[in-house]
This record gives sequence, structure tokens and C-alpha cells, in this order.
Amino acid sequence: MRRVIYIALVVALCWFAADCAHADELRVPQNAVAGQPITINGSGTLYLIGPGQVIKRDFKSGSVEIKGEELRSAGRWIASTGSSQSQVFWVKPGKPENLNFLARPSRVPVARPNVISGVTFVFDKYQNMVIDPTPVNFNLSVGGVGSSKTVTSKDGVAWTNSSSASKAGAAQFVASTGDSTVRRVVQQVAADPCNLRMHVAGKSKNMVILETDPIRDCSGNPVPDGTIVTFIQNDQNGKSTVDARIKKDIARAELPASNNATITVAAGVVLGNELHIGGK
Amino acid sequence: MKLARMLVLTFGVLLAISGAVPLLKHILADNKPTVQLNVQNAAPREVEDVTQNAIVRDYTAAWQAISTSLANNTLGPLNENFSGFALDKFTQRVKDQKEHGITTRIIDHGHKVDAVFYSPDGSAIELKDTASIETQVLNGGTVIHSDQAQIHYYAVMTGAEDRWKVRVLESAQQ
Repeated sequence: MRRVIYIALVVALCWFAADCAHADELRVPQNAVAGQPITINGSGTLYLIGPGQVIKRDFKSGSVEIKGEELRSAGRWIASTGSSQSQVFWVKPGKPENLNFLARPSRVPVARPNVISGVTFVFDKYQNMVIDPTPVNFNLSVGGVGSSKTVTSKDGVAWTNSSSASKAGAAQFVASTGDSTVRRVVQQVAADPCNLRMHVAGKSKNMVILETDPIRDCSGNPVPDGTIVTFIQNDQNGKSTVDARIKKDIARAELPASNNATITVAAGVVLGNELHIGGK
Repeated sequence: MKLARMLVLTFGVLLAISGAVPLLKHILADNKPTVQLNVQNAAPREVEDVTQNAIVRDYTAAWQAISTSLANNTLGPLNENFSGFALDKFTQRVKDQKEHGITTRIIDHGHKVDAVFYSPDGSAIELKDTASIETQVLNGGTVIHSDQAQIHYYAVMTGAEDRWKVRVLESAQQ
């Protein structure tokens, strides 16, 4: 009987010792999320070494609570009590709350296919990249008219390609996910001139004044002021060239009067009509 | 007697040399981590040869900078190779380490890197890295954690003035 009691006492003592040892064991969370509180059990001093921060705490009553706003970095963390106990645990990014949006280019001609690209990287509140697939909406519009597309991110990135609209103006390129919206402006400008035509607007003894019709691209958008239009005159004296800038949709040039001259007009790679002045 | 002395002295010198040679080798060794880059899966743009070389060079330099900064708690190497969120995070880590008297020794056994995204305008590239890394965390001179693991990282690099800089570097559980 005494022997049985003795064995029972030994077992109880071992049980108690194991329980005490277990209470001191470092226990870390398995499903931690950035921005959410966690509790870590152990004893002594706790060091938490994360990708972008280090936290040091003393265990009180066998546990330490880390507040949500303290646990900011997602990734691989190391928990150590400074002695022989240490463990690795993972912190996942929080829900998508921020977008990093690259819209290119900032200035683009109208009516060009797949010329505007939008790339977004998805982040949580604490700038951790959200790797899980996230739907991102892209909207490109000029004057309220445009197109919208939803793309699901892969490995934290979502991207789209768009054609420029046929109407010139400041296009609003908006990327959004959840409550987060980022806006970029893509300036859509007129493309190359279409149907470039000039006429004689005036004549004096020494000069001939040439003027273009309002210069527009093929979609009817006025070509921006300041665009260079070149007038070239060929006559018996040789070649005269005048570069004029478009002002209020029209380019104007004065060329020396000639008895027999051929005048051409061009803007960039676009050639306009040809005029013959003088001669028989 | 004299011969015995000479023998002991010679033995001592040889012993010193045998200890010093590996130490010198280790000090003088090129401690750059090896980075193997695969660009076959990069989309939507194909990665140009020049860009591939630049990415390998600059991603290698970035990991070297991490090792140096975390081991010595210095910010200089980070500023040269990181920008944006990655720079903010590593800067904070170094500041926290300094505050708590901690250093981290990283022994880098190499990286197998896949380019998974290269932006249409060529300004940003995303990499998926499988890194073999040995980590030792030291509190003063005492090792408080040590492990060796294959860790998966997502990195976003963007073109800067004269190099590619790491803008995002995040480890993820697979």
C-alpha cells in the first residue's frame, strides 16, 4: 500500500513539474495578421524580431500582449526569450487598404491602341504588400465618358492596358480597391494633323501672307498651339523656309513675293497642299 | 635539447599559420551572395539582357546591404540600395535593433529568383525569391536565436538614378 502511495506521489510530482515547465514554454501565435493584437506565452524577457521592427517586453503572469498597432510588419518573425527558447512565426498582411498606382505615359496622343498602362501594387494599412488575389478596378475617362475594367491582382500586382480616347483632354485614370482610390491624370492630346491646308491670306508688293485652315487631327481635335508648321517656297532664287507656330488653331507665315513660286506646307511628317504663285 | 626546442617552435608556427590562413581566406573572400535570375515567366514585357544583368547586380548588392546593416546597425548601405517602403522598414529595424542592443548576422547561401512581372514601361520589376539563409540574432555577444531556412521573398525593384533599388521586400509563408 505504501509503495502504491509512493508511486502515485512521484507521478503527481512529475506531472506538476511538467506542467510548470510547459507554462514557461514559449508559445507563439500561428495565424497572426499585421494590425491585429497577439498574445505570446512564456517567461522572462521577450524579444520579437520582425522584418521591419524589434519589440522587447517582459512577460507578466506568463504572457505578453502585443497591440495591433505595434505588430505592423508582415513576414517572418522571430520570438526569443533571450535564453535557449526561440521560435519562428509568420505575420500575414492585413486587408488591402492602399494602392501604389503607376500610370504611364503622362501625355499621350488620342486614338492610339494600348498606349496607356496602369500598374497597381496592393498594400495593407502598414505598407505590407498583399499577396492574396485582390480585385482592382481601373477606370479611364475623359469628360465623363470612358471605360472600366476589373483586374484581379496576382503576387500583389494588377495591371491593365488601355487605348487613348478619340477626344483630347485630361483623362482621369482611377484605380480603386475597397475604400482606397488613387487618381492619376493622363493628358490626351491631338494626334498628327489631318488634311493640312493653306491659302493665300494677303499679298503686298514684297510679301505674300499664307495662312492655314484650322488645323485638326483626324478625330477633329484641334492640334495644340505652339506646334510647328513649316512653309517652304521654291522659286528661281532658291528655297525659303519659314517655321511658324500654331496660334488659335491657325499657322501664319509671310514669304517673299515671287513671280513664279511653288509653296508647300508641312507639320511634322504630315504634308499639306501645294500652291503656285505667279508665273504664266 | 636545442633540437626539441626548434621542433616545438616550428610546430607552434605551423599551428599559427594553419589557423590564420582560413581566417584570412574568410576575411578576404568575396562575400557577395549568389543570385540566379530566371526571366522566362516575366510578363507583360520581356526583360532585356542589360536589365537582367542590372537586376542581378543590384539585387545582390541589396542583400549585401541587408547583411551589413543588420550586423553593424548602420544605415548607409540601406540608403544606397533601398527606397520607399523597404527602406522605411529596414531603417526602423536597424533603429530598433540599436535601441535594444541586438544585431542580426545573416549568412547568405544564395537566391533563386524568378521575375514574375515587368511593367509595360520598364520602370518596375517584381521578383519571387527563394533564399537559403542562416540567421543568428545576438543580444550583445549572446546568440538568442539561430536557424537556417529556405525563405520565400517578394521583391519589387524600381529604376532609380543610376541603379535599380528595392522598394518592397517581403517574406511570405508558402
